[in-house]
Amino acid sequence: MSKLLKLGAEVSVASGEIALEGAAAAPAVVALEDGLVARCLSGDGFAFSRLVALHEGMVVNLSQRLLGDREEARDLAQDVFLQVFRTLGRFQGRSSLKTWIYRITVNQCRNRQRWWRRRRRDRAVSLEQLNANDEARLASGQGATAFERVARREAAQRVQAALLGLSFDHRSILVLREVEGMRCDEIAATLGVPEGTVKSRLARAREQLRRLLLRHA
Amino acid sequence: MNCSAARARLSEFIDRELAAAESRAVGAHLRECGECARVLRETQDALSLLHELPRQRPTGSVASAVLDRLEVERRGASLQALFRPAWSVRPLIVPSLLHGALVFAVVLSGVLTLDRAVTPRDDSAAARGGWSNKLAPSGTEANPLFPSSNVAVPQLRARGIMPEPFLRWQGEGSVFLETVVARDGSVSAVTLIEGDSEEARALADALRHERFVPARVGGRPVAVSFYRLFSRMEVRGRT
Repeated sequence: MSKLLKLGAEVSVASGEIALEGAAAAPAVVALEDGLVARCLSGDGFAFSRLVALHEGMVVNLSQRLLGDREEARDLAQDVFLQVFRTLGRFQGRSSLKTWIYRITVNQCRNRQRWWRRRRRDRAVSLEQLNANDEARLASGQGATAFERVARREAAQRVQAALLGLSFDHRSILVLREVEGMRCDEIAATLGVPEGTVKSRLARAREQLRRLLLRHA
Repeated sequence: MNCSAARARLSEFIDRELAAAESRAVGAHLRECGECARVLRETQDALSLLHELPRQRPTGSVASAVLDRLEVERRGASLQALFRPAWSVRPLIVPSLLHGALVFAVVLSGVLTLDRAVTPRDDSAAARGGWSNKLAPSGTEANPLFPSSNVAVPQLRARGIMPEPFLRWQGEGSVFLETVVARDGSVSAVTLIEGDSEEARALADALRHERFVPARVGGRPVAVSFYRLFSRMEVRGRT
């Protein structure tokens, strides 16, 4: 519990609850989200469950790609939505709710990684190992033939290991762009950095990933 | 354009975000430089691997876990948190069941409506208004059925007894009548069609008191209209 409180404190500082600029959301989506947010703020548990159901998949997926561990990702998703629930009143609707939740997720992942480092958990070893098992589990259910399944599993393990070799900033930009399919302006709004910075980091991240994959191959 | 300049623009080239002139220049360099073309291919392969990463499926358990944590923080841990009804542990279960219940209700009502449409209508159908007010339900006295392969001709309860007026009839002649046998076996209407005479009217009156075994369709008695020809002729033996 003390760990969670500490994390919560770190996150509130890190995320800063700054209203996001740019990345304007579609009016219909904004209206829908406004209604949901208003109901959540009035203490409607069902509305909050609905909000979580809408965004849980993307939070868990993003967390897993950033942390490289499925169980950690699921655990972190709880922290993310706890943070969402507590700070929803400060959400000003200048960006979409989704972008705002992405931002909280990235900040939570960054904090958790720092926490690991302070406890000398070697990310490069432990997480890769954990992740290999996760990827095997995830990828084994797909593909038409056994050969395809094995190939896909190996590719997923290889690319996740390469992702974990990137710096957190580069990894988060690459995952938001290539896995979550966000535009550069949305990533800029999510991370709170200029769009030009996103593009230059994205270029460097792609180049590093290419090199890492060659090394892993 | 040299290799260094092309490599610096490779990311934007992949995203097609370069200006047209720059994009053409990078494209031209990539056609000439095998090394840069290889880097482009390797980068695109790496991005394809990222795109193909399997996605986690949401379990639906996060909301209840978060609400639990909030509840525990608000009230402190208690036995109430352990013994709760299922819908408070998973609040989305009830609304998700509502959708299923709605579909079930629609299908059930459709089935019942279709099932009702094939059963014979009763008298109460006349009270429903519309065209049914003008035309009585078929099989009733006001709109009787006619004998067919499905509808048998009602049989007289007392067989072989000719009506008394017919027996007292003098001379030759024919009477053609329509008889409507009601659902209780009584005669609800007798209409003279041909052969109007004093004797024929007396015969029609007598026929109104006949009793029949009512015809049945699908186990239910129905009113039936049928035609009868009474013909009398005198046959004289040769002396």
